[in-house]
This record gives sequence, C-alpha cells and structure tokens, in this order.
Amino acid sequence: MKITDACVYPYPLGDSSVRRMALEAKELGFDSIVAADTPSGEFSGIDVLSGILIQQTAVRDIPSRIKRERNHQAVVSVQAGNNGFNRAVISLKGIHIIRGIQSADKTAFDHVAAKMAADNHIAIDLDMSPLISGRGITRQRAMQRYRDILVLERRFEFPLTISSHAHSILEMRAVREIVGICSFIDMEITDIEKAFSGVDTVTSSPAYAVKVI
Amino acid sequence: MSTRPPTLREKRRYILIHIEPAGALIEQKDLYYAVSDAITSLWGDVMAAVIMAAVVASQDEYVIVRCRRGTERELSIALSTIISCRDTRIALRIVAASGTIETLRDRIRRVKVPGLECPLPLECSFEKKTYLIHQCNGQKVDVIEKGFKNTNRLFLTREDLEEL
Repeated sequence: MKITDACVYPYPLGDSSVRRMALEAKELGFDSIVAADTPSGEFSGIDVLSGILIQQTAVRDIPSRIKRERNHQAVVSVQAGNNGFNRAVISLKGIHIIRGIQSADKTAFDHVAAKMAADNHIAIDLDMSPLISGRGITRQRAMQRYRDILVLERRFEFPLTISSHAHSILEMRAVREIVGICSFIDMEITDIEKAFSGVDTVTSSPAYAVKVI
Repeated sequence: MSTRPPTLREKRRYILIHIEPAGALIEQKDLYYAVSDAITSLWGDVMAAVIMAAVVASQDEYVIVRCRRGTERELSIALSTIISCRDTRIALRIVAASGTIETLRDRIRRVKVPGLECPLPLECSFEKKTYLIHQCNGQKVDVIEKGFKNTNRLFLTREDLEEL
C-alpha cells in the first residue's frame, strides 16, 4: 500500500519547492505526493506525481483539456460543482478525482453520483485543510459533508483520496496526525488505509472480473 | 500547603514538540494560548479541562507540553490543528512522549544535530530573483527575498539553488 497525499501546491502556487515538499513528506511518513502543475519525478525517495486541477470550466471544455494532458500521465482532478455538473464530469473518461465536495452545494453529490463514481472508478477527495485550519462552522460543515460522503462510500464503495491541499510545508501534516483527524468523521483505520492508497487505485487500470480477449 | 504524596498526585504525560520553521521566535506564553485555543476549539471546554494542557518548558525550537495521562491522543490531534501563533505561521511536529521532562530533555540533546556550518553563500538566486539565506539545516534551506517589499519565507533545498 502506497501512502499518498493527493494534492499539494509547490512553488509558484505555494511557498515551498517541490523538492522540499517531497523531503518533508518523507519525514512525515508519505510514500508519494500529487503536486499540482509540476512534472512527475522522484525526489528524496518520494514519488511526485503530476497533478492537474480543472476548475471553473464548462463540462463541454473538459474533454479537450483532458486530451491535451493525456500524454503527461498526470492525475486529473476536477473541482466539484452542482449535481448536474458532477454527474456529467463523472461520466467523462480520463478524470481521476473530484475535489472540493465540501464547499459544493449540499445536493452536489447524491446516491446516483456515488453509484456512477463507483462504476467509473473515480475518487472523491477528502480535503483535510478545513478540518486542520478551519474553526467553528467551517470545520463543522466539512465534517458533516465528509460523514455524508462516507455513508455513500460504505454503500457504493467508490474510491476515496486524502489530501492536505498544502501550499507550504507548514501546512503538511504527518500520516499519524491525519489518521487522528479522520477519526472525527468516523473513518475506520481500514477506510483510512484505502483512502491513502486511493490515487494508486484510480490511476491503475481497474481489475475486471471478466477479461474479454 | 503541603505537597501531596506521589500516590495522590495526577499522572501526567509530557510531549516533546519541534516548532517549524526553524528560527521562529515564539514566546512560551503565546504558544500556551495557541494550544489552549486549539484544544477548546476542537474538543470544547469539558475536554480541555480533562486534558489540562500546559507548556512547561522550551529550549530553542523545542517545547515540552504537559497533559493528563491518557489524553495524549486528544492533545496531539489538537496540536496538529495549530497553524499560527501571534500571526507567525508555524507547524508543530510531535517528536516523542514521556512520563518525565528529564527524558525529553535527554531526547532533545540526542536529536539535536550540532550546528552545521552552512557552506552556501549568504545570498543566492532562485527563479531569477535574489534571496538571502535565513536558515540552513542539512538539505533544507529557508530563504527570504532580498529587499523590503516581499519578506515571505521560501522553503527550498540545496538542489533547488544548485540548479542555477
């Protein structure tokens, strides 16, 4: 099992270089990180996967954007929108992760979208930053949304990912600390392990029950 | 008031914490307020009274935080939610937990690397800008842009600077 932080923002989006973030991730217990707008590579024994975040884009423009990035072997993620947008995005090929579900509409991710995500092998990202840096209602809302997503995850078994969304090494947290924070949203240790390896799950080709020759 | 015999005293645990970034000037009292605020915000007043957290010692970039025995997990989760102290961005990394302060002081002495001389020049360039080296520890190099306009710290490695 590979422990992956599903989204960090190195320089120039953040204040830490990708090498420094990889060094920090190693000390914090991670095996790999997904770095936004950064080429893939290996630094300090940590796999750095290239991450592309598509946001504020109409659904019809997303396939062309994915096609452009297909050669880069990047982890493609889309910022969640309303329910119709999310269902449309989930049905597209080449998308790995839906992000920002905690800040989307309350009905943005329902049981139909959950079933589609499970079928299409698309992960839902659990952003730890509102739980770490948020206070009061912001943190409470994020917890409520994540609990709701976990109810759907237990029923439909779509993949999950965990990300710190760190713009600096100061915002990165140790694996042990994230496990502690995830305990607030009733995540069992097996769920957390599965979520940590969620990026691996969505980027590898799915194992089909029947192989068509 | 006479001191209680050891069998009647509360059992405590001490947690050794490393403050990042290196060189951040944090007052022990300010850190206590930050820890207390984080615990209350996350666990509420009831649990804060049970945890009984206190910053009992600090040595350079290390601090020792005390809590009631059995509440280490709650305290460590609350510590991970601290992002700043008096407008200074910090991160608290837990190094060890022990039943005595002395053990943690030994640990600080063991963990601490004797002052590495930074062979890099005081000034360096990164992404076509000139920076002043603020901290240097092994591979890690913290820099601040030269001039008075932007005083934000950048976290780099030696390799980032050697690339140029």
